[in-house]
Amino acid sequence: MPNRDLDQGELEQLVQDLAAQPERWRHLVQHRPDERTYAELHRDEHVAIWLICWMDDHDTGYHDHDLSAGAVAVTAGAVREERLVLGGAPAARTANAGEAFTFGPADIHRVSHVGGEPAVTIHAYSPPLWRMGQYSISPSGVLRRRAVSYADELRPLD
Amino acid sequence: MPATDVHQHLWPEPLLALLAARDETPRLRRGGDGWRLELAGEAAAAFDTRAHDPAARADVAAGDGIDRVLVAPSSPLGIESLPVAEAQPLLDAFHAGVLELGGPFMPWGSLALAAAEPAAVDALLDLGAAGLCLPGAALTSPARLDAIGPVLERLAQRRAPLFVHPGPAPAGDSALPAWWPPMTSYVAEMQAAWLAWAEWGRPAHPTLKVVWAMLAGCAPLQAERLAARGGPAGAVHDAHAWFDVSSYGPHAVDAMLRVVGVDRLVLGSDRPIADPPALASLGPAVRHAVSKANPARLFDAQP
Repeated sequence: MPNRDLDQGELEQLVQDLAAQPERWRHLVQHRPDERTYAELHRDEHVAIWLICWMDDHDTGYHDHDLSAGAVAVTAGAVREERLVLGGAPAARTANAGEAFTFGPADIHRVSHVGGEPAVTIHAYSPPLWRMGQYSISPSGVLRRRAVSYADELRPLD
Repeated sequence: MPATDVHQHLWPEPLLALLAARDETPRLRRGGDGWRLELAGEAAAAFDTRAHDPAARADVAAGDGIDRVLVAPSSPLGIESLPVAEAQPLLDAFHAGVLELGGPFMPWGSLALAAAEPAAVDALLDLGAAGLCLPGAALTSPARLDAIGPVLERLAQRRAPLFVHPGPAPAGDSALPAWWPPMTSYVAEMQAAWLAWAEWGRPAHPTLKVVWAMLAGCAPLQAERLAARGGPAGAVHDAHAWFDVSSYGPHAVDAMLRVVGVDRLVLGSDRPIADPPALASLGPAVRHAVSKANPARLFDAQP
């Protein structure tokens, strides 16, 4: 890997390459009905890579990645990515096994399991995630952002 | 998953009695205004025995939401470097005294550096120590790492962690304020130990779990400079290293989290010297990671 932060195209290539090498992460796959599970596959100065396992109802909520770009490759099951649209339905797409999608630091999205077969995804972020924004929309439609550590995204509570 | 504080100090009654009976530093002396602690390198300081009352400290731990308290030897006293005949009774009193207290307290083991042998590691772990605590200065050169190497090898074989804590301050001006050694020699010692570990220690002991007190003096925040000078900057991504957050706060912890990742941070408070860092601004997931999930991987994970 180059000794610098990676762009979205490079991150997509990275997660797709890893997705094609299940011997590097298969032993870490672990599905729990109550929460997503995570394992850090790699971390260096420029990129952090996680394996995430999803089941029904698992949903990140709307968030951004502050300074980081990212890419997600789906290796099993399927996840839905939604981009927040003010005053309209979210722009949604579904990524199935074998597919990948990317996002930049400016993007606001949520990712959820589509149901059915448990999903396994590989995520790469560059630079490594640090702080994030979590979004909520009040009943009157006011959008609010709360700054959180990346642990809130990747490290579930009990 | 127990909430764990990896770094407190508590001097059990038998250790207090032995320190009060010593003629030379380190020692406790009763003055007109209460007890004073006398060390070779630091100004004599008032010593409040109430801060070492086990029942009160168990209540404090419960108030902190902590289920398990690892009690470290007070390495700045320099006990580990005393002649073995002087050091061993003090260390024995520390281990036995903390073990006798029972939950939530559990000792880090400590040994006389002049008699640091693998068998001593076995004895400490068999006694019930959580791991071994060494002063940072024991690691700060290739020769020192070689000398302590067989001990570290045995520790790794037993899958028990090493806790690196600042040792005694060099003899200084007694007019210096109490915060001077913790901000100068302690920080420099922890940074030197971390750098020496990156360069020589880790290659020799690839699987030993190491817990660094006080964020290793924030040594990993120097990684860019380390890289610029041709040093082993990749050491910040050591999967067998943990950093306790004692005596720092949300700014330094957030900076470390950015460099080493949240998985590498564990809760240490350094009570009764310091209060636990206020980390609420980093969110509940950080609190969960540093106090529960990360200590569980450090101490309880099955090989």
